[in-house]
Amino acid sequence: MKPREEMLTVGGIDVHTWVGGQGDPLLVLHGAGGNRGWTRWLAQVAERYTVWAPTHPGFGRSGDAEWMEGIDDLARFYLWFIDAARLDTPHLLGHSIGGWTAAELATMSPGSIGRLVLVAPVGLKPDVGEILDIFYIPLPKLREVTVHDPATIPEWDELFGKPPTPAEQELVTRNREMTARLTWKPYMHNPRLAHFLPRVTNPSLIVWGREDRIVPVACGEQYRTLLPHARLTVLDKCGHLPPIEQPDAFARLVIDFLGSKP
Amino acid sequence: MKLYYFSEMPHHEFPDEEGDKYPSLRLDFPNRFFDREKAAANYQRYLDEYELADRVGFDGLMINEHHSTPSCVNVGANMTAAILARTTRRAKLLLLGNILPIEDNPVRMAEQIAMADLISGGRVLSGFVRGVGVETWWANTNPVHNRERFEECHDLILKCWTQPGPFRWEGRHYHFRHVNPWCLPLQKPHPPIWVPGTASPETAVWAGRLGYTYVPFLVPFEIARELFDFYRQGAAETGRTVTPDKLGFLICAVTADTKAKALEAGRHFVWRMGPTLRMPTEYFAPVGMRSRTGAQFALRSRPRSLATLSYEELLAGHFIIASTPDEVIDRFALVQRELGIGHLLLEAQESRMDHPTTMRSIELMGAKVIPAVARI
Repeated sequence: MKPREEMLTVGGIDVHTWVGGQGDPLLVLHGAGGNRGWTRWLAQVAERYTVWAPTHPGFGRSGDAEWMEGIDDLARFYLWFIDAARLDTPHLLGHSIGGWTAAELATMSPGSIGRLVLVAPVGLKPDVGEILDIFYIPLPKLREVTVHDPATIPEWDELFGKPPTPAEQELVTRNREMTARLTWKPYMHNPRLAHFLPRVTNPSLIVWGREDRIVPVACGEQYRTLLPHARLTVLDKCGHLPPIEQPDAFARLVIDFLGSKP
Repeated sequence: MKLYYFSEMPHHEFPDEEGDKYPSLRLDFPNRFFDREKAAANYQRYLDEYELADRVGFDGLMINEHHSTPSCVNVGANMTAAILARTTRRAKLLLLGNILPIEDNPVRMAEQIAMADLISGGRVLSGFVRGVGVETWWANTNPVHNRERFEECHDLILKCWTQPGPFRWEGRHYHFRHVNPWCLPLQKPHPPIWVPGTASPETAVWAGRLGYTYVPFLVPFEIARELFDFYRQGAAETGRTVTPDKLGFLICAVTADTKAKALEAGRHFVWRMGPTLRMPTEYFAPVGMRSRTGAQFALRSRPRSLATLSYEELLAGHFIIASTPDEVIDRFALVQRELGIGHLLLEAQESRMDHPTTMRSIELMGAKVIPAVARI
């Protein structure tokens, strides 16, 4: 089924959203790099689930939200989005800052979602190591450390092969500004989140790349310990972008987890 | 035209090849190269130089503040102002300035500036700056809030100085339930306010609107004129007439008994143009700190970064003036004619320029340059 793009208005903010597929709803929250559109892994998951992939307020083609201060605001916003889009207890998947948002949302209202998939989420202060400062290191270097090996990424050319046009560059800047607005201090984590995670009894899957150089893989273990019904899968030869770096394996993991027996 | 003496209080007390190993001297260069003994002596020396500048007749002493960098170890503008408030007698104390967006307590800042004004007998000129990105990293203040915090911090300081307390302040970035500072400036209603500019048209318009004295730093003349036009736009919005007294300009300058000696001393300014400004974009302008307009103007205003200009080019562009007193007078007059300014701020010591050279330059400025420039 061909995906469609919609503008949903939630709380006065236009939210650019990709919608497609069939089956139970799955809400997908993107990372700091923005909404990458209908990529290969999404298309595969959409064969079994109706995917809703919104662009966060302040990112890409969605409207501004300069009043937001933190990821908890974004989490509350997506609870509203779930109501507005009439998603009725969707499964929730979030990557990186989208994973942090998903975790916050789950602690606020675990009954509003079905299963939870967190992909290399930030949000917790690492017990060991540090979350890379993505605003401090120059952008070309950031691209280099985000993935394990560009040569193994099937969609590399489509997604990153061409230098950005001025309009695309403007969106990159916009995405980074909104990320800074939401995550600057404490940097990329909420010291209170760990206290709330045990409330989330939803079946949860945590996915990490073993070679993640942005968020230490040790954080995956922290999430697994704090979430009562979570398992952690670590993908070898994978960096911070499992859905892009290993789309087929990642889609399979998600489909298997969402469809497994309780 | 009035002349102001300014020293960045550099700490160039390390082998340059050590600094070259890091992406930048700012933020990255490890402070194990900070030499405590030399710093202790240098502070005395730099304060002596400021005090001589007061005695020989400079109209003002400009004081600034930076953090996490050997280019400027004056880490507290208000601290230096408090010292000079006591040890100098005549010159204005130009704080240029306090870095508002990174300040978490504007009420404390209002008190400190007021105290310096009281101790100095009402000589404070209170400059407010947005700061470069480095200070935002140092303070870990969200860069996307930089302009909002600059304006809100300014508004609260002004309210402290002009509205009777106690009052409550509940803004977006600052929250105080009981504001009632028992320390108010001697100058009524408050010290004159100055604002520097390098690239932001919004700051120029804002300063013009409020009638503050506006001072571009080390930009080509044509860019300074453009920024002054933005300033005039803002002034026109509030029906203000712009007099030379509202416009200033900052350059590097040194004089000596012979042209050769002056040119030798002037070379020290190249360090502040090059090595101390070498840094990734992210350090200088973290994401969100500049508006789109500001970022575009910044690109245009520096067709070539100062770091890529040779000493000769820096002299030719009047970023640096280094010559005998007579020629310095001519050059300052030229800057005045080009820009129509009432204040010329001189960064007058840098890098490893030694104490005797600096003191002689200050003496010659006092004996020959200041009296001549005062008539311009």
